[in-house]
Amino acid sequence: MTPLLLGLIGLLLAGPVPAVLGRSRWLLPTPRAGVVLWQSLALAAVLAIIGAGFATTVWMISNGQTGPFMVAAHVVVIGLTSIVVVRLAWASAQVALDTRARRRRHRDLVDVLGDRDGTEPGLRILAHDTPMAYCLPALGKNRVVVSAGALSRLAGPELEAVLAHEQAHVRARHDLVLEAFSALHTAFPRGVRSKEPLLQAQLMVEMLADDAARSRAGAGPLARALVALAGQSTPAGALGVAAGSVALRLERLAAPVHERRVRSAAAYMLAVAVLVLPTVFLAVPWMIDAWALLS
Amino acid sequence: MATPTAPKLGDLERDVMDRLWGAAEPRSVRDVHAELSAERELAYTTIMTVLDRLTRKQLVSRTREGRAYLYSAVNSRAELTAEMMHDALSVDGLDRTAALVHFADRVTPEEAAALARALERVQHHDEGQPGS
Repeated sequence: MTPLLLGLIGLLLAGPVPAVLGRSRWLLPTPRAGVVLWQSLALAAVLAIIGAGFATTVWMISNGQTGPFMVAAHVVVIGLTSIVVVRLAWASAQVALDTRARRRRHRDLVDVLGDRDGTEPGLRILAHDTPMAYCLPALGKNRVVVSAGALSRLAGPELEAVLAHEQAHVRARHDLVLEAFSALHTAFPRGVRSKEPLLQAQLMVEMLADDAARSRAGAGPLARALVALAGQSTPAGALGVAAGSVALRLERLAAPVHERRVRSAAAYMLAVAVLVLPTVFLAVPWMIDAWALLS
Repeated sequence: MATPTAPKLGDLERDVMDRLWGAAEPRSVRDVHAELSAERELAYTTIMTVLDRLTRKQLVSRTREGRAYLYSAVNSRAELTAEMMHDALSVDGLDRTAALVHFADRVTPEEAAALARALERVQHHDEGQPGS
């Protein structure tokens, strides 16, 4: 039963669990714990699926005769495991290379097209009316890019909030967190995966950077900056999800800052439990059995 | 003379590109050096290094003309601007992720109105707590 149970846990952690957690607003006040919980869910899903593959292999070796249904079920588990492992390795490499190539080219372009303002070394200003601000994280070669259109819509404290937000992304390497979730999303087969982990990780990371910006520039300027930069109509293909995420960030800024120790402790504990429980209750007994069987 | 540091080279890359974009014909290191050193003191080798870096970045192409190399911009400024803007604005939700981390995504007018209303609430709450 171990292989099937592990496979089931893996599938639950890859699809339905993220879908439910993504809909709840429980983690929104505690983004740091939230990122950790999402990471642990993702890791647990991968581990459960890999564990299921291993357990199935041993089971097939040790049990010669069983009904065709059980054999078929186990073949499916092994197949899924191999797909996930191969795709995960492939996707990680692919995402890492693509991201770096795209970022390098973009940085080269920004460097020859953008203006330096002289105050911040990595800041580049683009002579373009579309209001936008983003960062290009890279070790020692960070760029924070702000368009002239954004500058004209932001007052001093608002610009400070934007810069503080982007610098928080760059300093904490939030892009690496997103990259991992992006690789994971690419790796899981369609139908099994959920887009929630990636979307939620994006939201949590934005909220973490918002917290940094808020403590430097205040909630008011940050909120005004968010609306000034997001409140422009999109050129093609509106993003409902993104609008939702800006709304959630604003909602968070409306509430006074207070630490949610109990909630974040609960999230951390859940993160540990998700990783440890399947190991203790399924993998360890199975390893003992398998050891006894093979020796 | 002062040795050029890395950020200075970066600044120069921009200036050199400006010269190449402004030129009708491919330029040699000597041409570019002559134009730029009219404004400030620059070593010939510095310009050579900068052109070499730009060539490696595929922003500049190099052709051999007799004994000298001639350099020209691969793309016009407008083309590069278009490429950059396209890259910066091609947000399709799950793909954008890690390469460029945007401050805020863009929304429809109705959503913008809703955001403006939400902003009022923030301002309202924010009043009693300066700078926090």
